Amino acid sequence: MADKPIRRGTVSFALGTALLALFAAAAFFPGIFTPWGRKELFGLWEAPSALHPLGTNYLGYDVLAELVYGARDTVVIGLLSSVISLALGAAAGVISAGEGRAAALFSWITQLFIMLPRLVSLIVLSAFWGSERAKLALLIALFSWTGTARAVRAQVRHLKAQPFAEALELLGYSRARIALRHMLPNLSGVLLSRFLLSVNSCIMMESTLSFLGMGDIYHPTWGTMMNLAYRRGAFIRRAYLYLMAPGACVMLLSLAFYLMSVRAGARKEIISQ
Amino acid sequence: MKNTAAALLCFAAVMILNFALPRMLPGDPVAYLSGFAEEDMTAAQVERYRSALHLDEPVLKQFGYYLGSIADGSLGYSFKKEESVSSLIASRIPATLQIALPALVISSALGLYLGLAAGSRRDSALDRTVNAASIALNAVPGFAAALGLMLFFCFRHRWLPYSGLNSPEIAAAAAAGRVSAAAFLADRVRHLALPVTALTLGILPSRCLLVRNTAAEENGKKYVLYARQRGLAPGIIRRSYILKNIAQPFIVMTGLSVGSCVGGSLVVENIFSINGMGRLLTDAVYTLDYPLMQGILFVTAGAMTAAIIVSDIVCALADPMAGRRNSDG
Repeated sequence: MADKPIRRGTVSFALGTALLALFAAAAFFPGIFTPWGRKELFGLWEAPSALHPLGTNYLGYDVLAELVYGARDTVVIGLLSSVISLALGAAAGVISAGEGRAAALFSWITQLFIMLPRLVSLIVLSAFWGSERAKLALLIALFSWTGTARAVRAQVRHLKAQPFAEALELLGYSRARIALRHMLPNLSGVLLSRFLLSVNSCIMMESTLSFLGMGDIYHPTWGTMMNLAYRRGAFIRRAYLYLMAPGACVMLLSLAFYLMSVRAGARKEIISQ
Repeated sequence: MKNTAAALLCFAAVMILNFALPRMLPGDPVAYLSGFAEEDMTAAQVERYRSALHLDEPVLKQFGYYLGSIADGSLGYSFKKEESVSSLIASRIPATLQIALPALVISSALGLYLGLAAGSRRDSALDRTVNAASIALNAVPGFAAALGLMLFFCFRHRWLPYSGLNSPEIAAAAAAGRVSAAAFLADRVRHLALPVTALTLGILPSRCLLVRNTAAEENGKKYVLYARQRGLAPGIIRRSYILKNIAQPFIVMTGLSVGSCVGGSLVVENIFSINGMGRLLTDAVYTLDYPLMQGILFVTAGAMTAAIIVSDIVCALADPMAGRRNSDG
């Protein structure tokens, strides 16, 4: 019984890594997967064939090429927003784990962001502020750090109650040294698993925004692709693969990050945001 | 009542954000609040809007006018649609509620049932299936699930309609009074089936996992072991022991999820061409109708605040200990 969860974690980790490697390959070397460029023109709405495994789209682009080249844009914005959200969450978590006014303030702020309706706020904010990739990543991060903050806060509180923390304080080490040299390494597990889960939710959020037509049109992600497929009439043209393939990719990418996070100690962590 | 206080604070934050956004961002607030680009307006028009929107007065006075527009229920004016924001939203809310409420109820009930069944039989076949299915479903973006359902039920097989809340001919006949209420209702249900299913699939997995995990945790506690030792039936342990102890986190989560439910409904409305608040919002974004967007954010935040307050009250009623514990700490 004791070794079973570990083995299960290893299998899913391997599976997740393999999936992620596939997407990473598509992001770095799109040429491996498709001979066509992103904007090479063919006939409009061609049915899937040996030359075009997923058919062509409403402009005559090869759908598979669009999908492969979209991997980079999708992964980049997902990673960018989750790195920012990790930094925000870690900072807020560490501050709110302490005592005093700052801690109380940050607990309130965390609570506030948990409650805010994410999608509606993001849509309104991006409409006001602009939906270029960097801005969008920042906005998505602004609405996805709360889970990290809570996990970090719990872990820091737990660590502070440990005998070694007390011992270090008694030995007269500075607070900065304790925080950086002794607390941070102990937080790495939590941070890693939260990071993987937040890449997941950031990609989801970005796809949804892009699907609604609020993404960065200069960096079309899979969400943007599905939006265009849907709006330009992929249903009527029976281009079902064109319509559903990007969604399947988002799902697989999201699963890849989830499977990896299982090993990173997030077994009890629920993706409840 | 920590949640209620936080929810009210959150509501206040949205109110202040709504006031600050057009005034703080680069660009003339006149352009944001009227919804027209500066270069499209003559100087006289800009001045007219500036005084109509009270932008030539001190900020505190502007805030007073803003609070007034909330108090009188108009929520501002959409110059693009030439109607008050509140009447625009009010005409769309029923459609959104018809999707969001059934989905909320169905996903809560199913989530509670499946999660409890799985959590109290840890590592059984049922538990593994529920877990795996929840995780897989959780990875599917809501819009992709909705499109998949539409693809299967409306295009592969022509079983269900793919747009609107009623077929045009039924709606016309109903307006003329030539159709029975039952036929109208049946047509409505047929139209709602897919949107509600899509939204339910979107919310169900996280809810199921939460119930499953809290139930599994309770299941390992000693009082459950004692109950089992006393020979109580598993069903009784589940319903009268575990359920009571997971009720609170469940109710809190249901209250918190109302915001994301409205968000999900927004996506679904856009896919199934239903004229609810979600389509109004995307419409507002495409036409740069800023006052209307802000009104929708305000109403969503209000719905979420109300839901959290209600869930706090239900929580206190469900467990008398909660009231006592919160009042002294």
